[in-house]
Amino acid sequence: MVLLRTPPPHGGNIVDRVVRNPDRAKKMADGCVAFDIKPTLLDGVPIRNVYREIVSICYGFFSPVEGSMVRNEVERVLEERRLLSEWIFPYPLVFDVTEEDYKNLGVGEGDRLLLRLKGQPFAVLDIDEIYKIDPVDIATRTFGTPEKNPEVVRVPFDEKHPGYMIYRSLNPVVIAGKYTIINEPKFRDPYNKFWFPPAKCREEFKKKGWRTAIAHQTRNVPHVGHEALMKNAAYTGDIEPCNGILVNAIIGAKRRGDYPDEAILEGHSAVNRFGYIKPERHMVTFTLWDMRYGNPIESLLHGIIRQNMGCTHHMFGRDHAAVGEYYDMYATQILWRDGIPSFGFEAPPNEVDYGLKIIPQNMAEFWYCPKCGEMAYSQTCGHEKEKQKLSGSFIRGMVAEGIFPPNVIMRPEVYKAIVKWWKVYGYPFVNPKYLAEKDKTLEIDVPPMEVNLKR
Amino acid sequence: MVHYIGLLLDDVRFSAIKGTGLEEKLTTLFGGQIKSLVLEVPEELSKKILAEFPNARIDSRSYLEDLPVAFKRALFNEVVEKKTLGTEVIEAVFQKMDEIKELAAKESEYIPPPDIDTSEI
Repeated sequence: MVLLRTPPPHGGNIVDRVVRNPDRAKKMADGCVAFDIKPTLLDGVPIRNVYREIVSICYGFFSPVEGSMVRNEVERVLEERRLLSEWIFPYPLVFDVTEEDYKNLGVGEGDRLLLRLKGQPFAVLDIDEIYKIDPVDIATRTFGTPEKNPEVVRVPFDEKHPGYMIYRSLNPVVIAGKYTIINEPKFRDPYNKFWFPPAKCREEFKKKGWRTAIAHQTRNVPHVGHEALMKNAAYTGDIEPCNGILVNAIIGAKRRGDYPDEAILEGHSAVNRFGYIKPERHMVTFTLWDMRYGNPIESLLHGIIRQNMGCTHHMFGRDHAAVGEYYDMYATQILWRDGIPSFGFEAPPNEVDYGLKIIPQNMAEFWYCPKCGEMAYSQTCGHEKEKQKLSGSFIRGMVAEGIFPPNVIMRPEVYKAIVKWWKVYGYPFVNPKYLAEKDKTLEIDVPPMEVNLKR
Repeated sequence: MVHYIGLLLDDVRFSAIKGTGLEEKLTTLFGGQIKSLVLEVPEELSKKILAEFPNARIDSRSYLEDLPVAFKRALFNEVVEKKTLGTEVIEAVFQKMDEIKELAAKESEYIPPPDIDTSEI
């Protein structure tokens, strides 16, 4: 049997566009026109901040993407889910500004734009192209339609879909080109404890002796059903189960009712700190990204991120990264089992040229079986009538009513992680106050940096 | 289609239903670790409830979830008072909807955290 090894990064190399030498960084910014990064708003509520894309690109999570895409690349991604270099990639990524901001900037192709964040120099954008977009067209083509993608799209996307609204709310002018971070951000607590960009994550795998690792996508505080999923999915591997389980939380703009990001990270961390899955086998990390909830499309991005981080396998459940009933509930599993031709995949994304190397592990659900007296896998347990499902909404209701969840539903230390951040924000879930606070503080601080701007 | 609302019982709520006859209607979940009373909600009533509370949703078990705490508290109080799990309990709660919605609005800003030690996290 062939033993699996850590796969190469998507595209061959991990992108590293971070300048760590301050003198060089200052020289790069000298004489630039500056622009303060603004969040994408919907009815005054932040739904995206492009700084998260800049960080994820420059630290290599989205390798081989290096910047805001040129027009032809956006078109290719929308039509075939491929970059101009042929490597597969699911989403258009652009730096968008208003017409007014574009006029005020007075920049053109070949110029370098300094991007400020929280009032400080943060990154530069070397401009290759400036062009206009139709945000409605981009939004529609990004997610698909029932007519064009009948295999998996069930109903047209509309204003209730948060990812669709991110694209629909883009500004009309795109400034395309490579980003370079010139002033490394400092992650705030507790994010700093979980910051493992791909190069560092791969080093950590080596230290831990992980030859194989399975990725777990999360945007939730873990209940015991998630724990059972992680433990059981990890039994895949090659000659032995996967050496490690990589939890990678997607951190970004939140929806009301979600758990705060801090509770998600520390809740997952409690699973290993308190030995439910020992830390030698379980690791918690995050990626900055304002989730698009694109189900099969999003799963491609997840595959790319986690392959870049060094994972050999990725678990995919029902309704992966989904909201509402826009996609077939098994759309992601269909993509990774058969492919979705209308999205450019005649075969699964790990079986096409310039595709991914990560191996999918499609999983069904876990429920509590009172007859077995344990969390049971739906495809194994023969007591369907007796099943008791763990629903996230059910647990949220329990939390809101101040009821300590029993150990069979949620580990006490995970619940305490929720309460810890509930004490900080006065609320167990994301609410308008949390969103406003998060928009102000973000996940990072940017150190002071003096540069000579263009006058 | 019938939907459901589950009222979870902690020790305080469990003592409130003693002697009402509702003890016999208790449902246990997760190996007996959770006790609850389950109300059946006809579709017409569940539509009315969903219309009142935009965050509420029906989960994969057909249970109405993400309901305001104020609504569930009022529901429990009516169950105890009327000693039944019938639809008249929900109808009675609808009579107090203005008051419940006022309380629910405050719930989106602040819910007091439980007084438990979280220093180990």
